[in-house]
Amino acid sequence: MSCPKTHYLLQEYFSEDLSEVARNELDRHLAGCVHCNAELESVLLAQQDLQQWQEQSVPHWDRGLELFRQEHRVERPVSRFWLSWQWLPTAASLAMLCVLLFNVSVVSNDSGFSVSFAGSSASGTDLNARLAEFEQAQRLEMQQLVTRVESRQDSNNVQLLQAVMEQTQQSTADSFDQMYAYFEQQRLLDLQDMRAGYEQLVDSDYETIRSLQQLVNYVGYQSDIR
Amino acid sequence: MQRQGEDFMGLIDEDEALIAAALKGSAYAWEKLVKRYESKIYNHGLRLTGNSSDAMDLMQEVFLGVYRNLHRFRGDAKFSSWIFRIAHNKAVDMNRRKRLMTASPKFSEEDDGDEFEKFPGKTNLEPENRLGNQQQNLRVLKMLKELSSDQRSIVELKVFQSLTFDEIAELQDISANTAKTRFYSALKKLKVVSEEQNVLS
Repeated sequence: MSCPKTHYLLQEYFSEDLSEVARNELDRHLAGCVHCNAELESVLLAQQDLQQWQEQSVPHWDRGLELFRQEHRVERPVSRFWLSWQWLPTAASLAMLCVLLFNVSVVSNDSGFSVSFAGSSASGTDLNARLAEFEQAQRLEMQQLVTRVESRQDSNNVQLLQAVMEQTQQSTADSFDQMYAYFEQQRLLDLQDMRAGYEQLVDSDYETIRSLQQLVNYVGYQSDIR
Repeated sequence: MQRQGEDFMGLIDEDEALIAAALKGSAYAWEKLVKRYESKIYNHGLRLTGNSSDAMDLMQEVFLGVYRNLHRFRGDAKFSSWIFRIAHNKAVDMNRRKRLMTASPKFSEEDDGDEFEKFPGKTNLEPENRLGNQQQNLRVLKMLKELSSDQRSIVELKVFQSLTFDEIAELQDISANTAKTRFYSALKKLKVVSEEQNVLS
C-alpha cells in the first residue's frame, strides 16, 4: 500500500518558496498519512547521512602563485650607470693577466718611467754602472762578514777545546777510581778463594795423615800378632 | 541560505579589498583570497568527483578561471556565488571531458571502486583528521557515487551549498520544477543506498 500523493508532496516539502497555506496543508497530510511520514523520515535520514561530511584539508599546492608572480613581475629599474660599467671588472682582470703573462716591469727613475717586457733591459749603461756599484758593496760586505765569522770561529774553537779537555780529565779520573775499586774487589775475591783452597788442602792432608796413621796402626797390629 | 549569507556578510568587504589588491599585482592578496576559498572548492570537487586528484584538478582549474576573470568581477554578486558559478561550470566541463574520454555516458556508475582507492582519506590526509572523518566521508562518497552526475550536482548545490531551487535552476539552466523532481529522486536513491549501508554495517 502506498499514498498517491507522496511523490508530489515530498518534492514540495524541500521547496523554499512554498506558501504558508500549502505548507500547512502539507503538514496536515504528513501528520495523518503513515506512508508519506515514513517516506519523509527515511529521506531525511539519508540527507542527514550526507551532512556527516567533514571538511577535508586541501593537499599542498602553490595556489597559482607561480603564474601570478610570472604575470605580475615588476621589472626592477636597473641603473644605467652600473649597466654601462659592467665590463670594467672583466677588463681589469684581463689586464692583470697580461701583466703576469708577459712579465712586465715598470721602472721609474730620474729621467721618467721605463716599461720592460720579459725582464729585458731598457738602458744597458745605466744598469752596468749600478751593477758595478752593487758588486763593490757586496764584496765589502762579504769581507766584513768573513772576518767576523773567522774571529767568532776561533773563539768558538778555543772554548770547545777547553770544554773537551776538561771533560776528558774528569772522565779519566773517574775511570781510574772505578778501575782501582774493581781491582781491589778482585784481589779480595782471590784472597778468599785462596784461603778456601788452602783450607781444603789442609783438610785433605789431615785426612791423608789419619789414614796413614791407621795403616801404620794396622801394620803394627799385624806384626804384633805374628 | 540565509545563514550562510550572513556568514559571508562580514567577509565581503575584505574579499573586495583583496580582489582589488590582487588586481594591482599583490601576490599576498591573491594567496589570501585563494586560501579563503580553496577548502570549500576542494571539498566541493571531492564530493562531485569522488577522488582527490580530480578534486585537485578541478580546484586548480577553478582558481585559474578566477584569476583569468578577476578583472571582470564587478561586485554586483557575492564573490562566493561568483566563484561557485565558475566551479560549477568547470565541473560540468570536466564531466563532459571525462565522458568523452571514457566513451561512457555514465562514468560514475561504471567505476569499480578504484576512485575510492585514490580517496585522500587513505593516503595524504592531515594527521589530525585522518581517523576522525575518514569513515564518514567515505560513506558519503559511496552514497554520492550511486547518483548520476546531474543528481549529484543538484544534491551538492542543495544540501552542501544551500542554494534555493530557483538558484539551482538558473545555474543549471533548467526549470525549478525539474530541479525539485531531480532532487527528490536523488534523495530516494540515496535513501536506498543509506539503508543498504546501514544493513551492511
